[in-house]
Amino acid sequence: MKNELNMRCIMGKDTVLATETEQAVYALVAIKSTTGALLGTMPMNIGLVVDRSGSMDGEKMDNVKEAIGYVVDHVSDNDLVSVTIFDDQVETLIPNQAARNREQIKSAIAGVIPRGGTQISDGLKAGLTEVMKGYARDRVNRILLITDGRTWDDEASCLKLADEAGKQGIAITSIGIGDDWNEKLLLQLAERSHGNSHWIQNPIAILDAFQQEVEGMQAVAATNLKVTARMSAGVKPFRVHATVPMIADVSNKALQNNTVVAELGSLDNKKGQALLIEARIPAQKAGTFRLGQVEVNYDVPSQGVKGHSKKADLVLTVSSDAAAATKVNAEVMNLVEKISAFKLQTRALTELEAGNIAGATQRLQSAATVLLNLGEDDLAAVAEKEILLLRKTGALSAAGTKKLEYGTRKLTQAMRQ
Amino acid sequence: MKCTECQMENIEGALFCEECGVKLEAAGEVKDATKDEETEGTLMVLKSLDGSKLEIPAKDEIIIGREDPISDLFPDVDLTGLGGMEKGVSRKHAVIHRAGAAYTVEDMGSTNGTYINKKKIQPHAPQTIKVGDELRFGKLALTLQAA
Repeated sequence: MKNELNMRCIMGKDTVLATETEQAVYALVAIKSTTGALLGTMPMNIGLVVDRSGSMDGEKMDNVKEAIGYVVDHVSDNDLVSVTIFDDQVETLIPNQAARNREQIKSAIAGVIPRGGTQISDGLKAGLTEVMKGYARDRVNRILLITDGRTWDDEASCLKLADEAGKQGIAITSIGIGDDWNEKLLLQLAERSHGNSHWIQNPIAILDAFQQEVEGMQAVAATNLKVTARMSAGVKPFRVHATVPMIADVSNKALQNNTVVAELGSLDNKKGQALLIEARIPAQKAGTFRLGQVEVNYDVPSQGVKGHSKKADLVLTVSSDAAAATKVNAEVMNLVEKISAFKLQTRALTELEAGNIAGATQRLQSAATVLLNLGEDDLAAVAEKEILLLRKTGALSAAGTKKLEYGTRKLTQAMRQ
Repeated sequence: MKCTECQMENIEGALFCEECGVKLEAAGEVKDATKDEETEGTLMVLKSLDGSKLEIPAKDEIIIGREDPISDLFPDVDLTGLGGMEKGVSRKHAVIHRAGAAYTVEDMGSTNGTYINKKKIQPHAPQTIKVGDELRFGKLALTLQAA
């Protein structure tokens, strides 16, 4: 079978106006598994990397232990599990092994007593070593990192490890509990390794995050997903966003002259993947304009498929009829608006870091307006509240910042039914 | 293309302002709420952001939701094609009641709620609606217009 995946290329507008200047166009590349059915389950290789610093004591650690119990109970006998715990020291509690010794794993976890500080990079490094022991291309290799604190001056090492993990095909899902941790670091760990990130306000929700991750790993349909868009002469792609599992600006990595090359990790059977490419096209006369060609490459290890590809053209109609050029594709429009909210929020935080409170306030106000238009009333209310705080104190609250950072990135997630 | 909100000059073809995120006119949303009063009571449509129109059938009770053949649910206005599933539209989400020239909308206890002009309405409490109102089912926004 050579049609495991389905790729749709949708332009923001099928018809654009003939112009004498360059204009911006939007292309959405949406990828899903063809049937919507699972192409075959892949065995898993999960590395749990758990912060056991003193602040994890009590409800947080109790819920982490319960959540690890859930993981162990919901993977099959041949899936691989390892557990690494860290404070300012590291201990490999369960070396990489088949998950069948469930009770032994659970009892080892039960004995963990929180203590010490937080040094994420050492824990992450040891956790990666364990995952590498069981690494295979036909497994879903993933690290679940859970922490509640700020790491001690080793952010750069953490990011380097995330880059290496991403290159190997090991995604890191970072889970932050409470308000006192560096959301930028955890989000970057996820983005750089094609993983996910969760913010958990109430420790009770730890189980839910683990549950989502296990279900996500069981739903992996394809791996090594790569989208390449080769543009025609004169077409200049200038921005690229990935949208699953979170909105992420991948422009820096993906833009290579007039070609877009986006490595996207694994493909979730239910969620699929969608990439939004923004490009400038040169002045055009009426007619058909071929923007370029998109190719997706992927593996389906459960079926022994390696390096399959699909291609599709990006084509526009250029017309001098202004009325014909007004129709916008609703799906693209909606996605562009969500990305716009995400961008405004991100820029507000950048302005604030640079000490420009007026600029940050303005961006946040714009973000709130876009969020209201999107029907995201709760998130808009958070932005409004933070604007008041910003005006009063010149700073945002830790919880509000996290709500906005995670909320706007996850605007692309479907609502529960 | 100048943003009417912040005056920023955006590149032709941009859908949203780079500076303030406001939807730009070239995004193609056509405003035509000019004939509101006199057209009330005639046939109505629900218009989506991309300009497509869903006709509201000429009957007294119109069910809005998502088609689900397995449960034998076929709403009068099916929002599946507009991304209803992803946007949190329930299978039986709301009912539009028609009494002569007057219309009301009633939320049927949907998971993600029904909104009129961005205000959430209580379930099972019909609210009057008129031409030009924005109705939102979950996150799917539609505008009520004369056909």
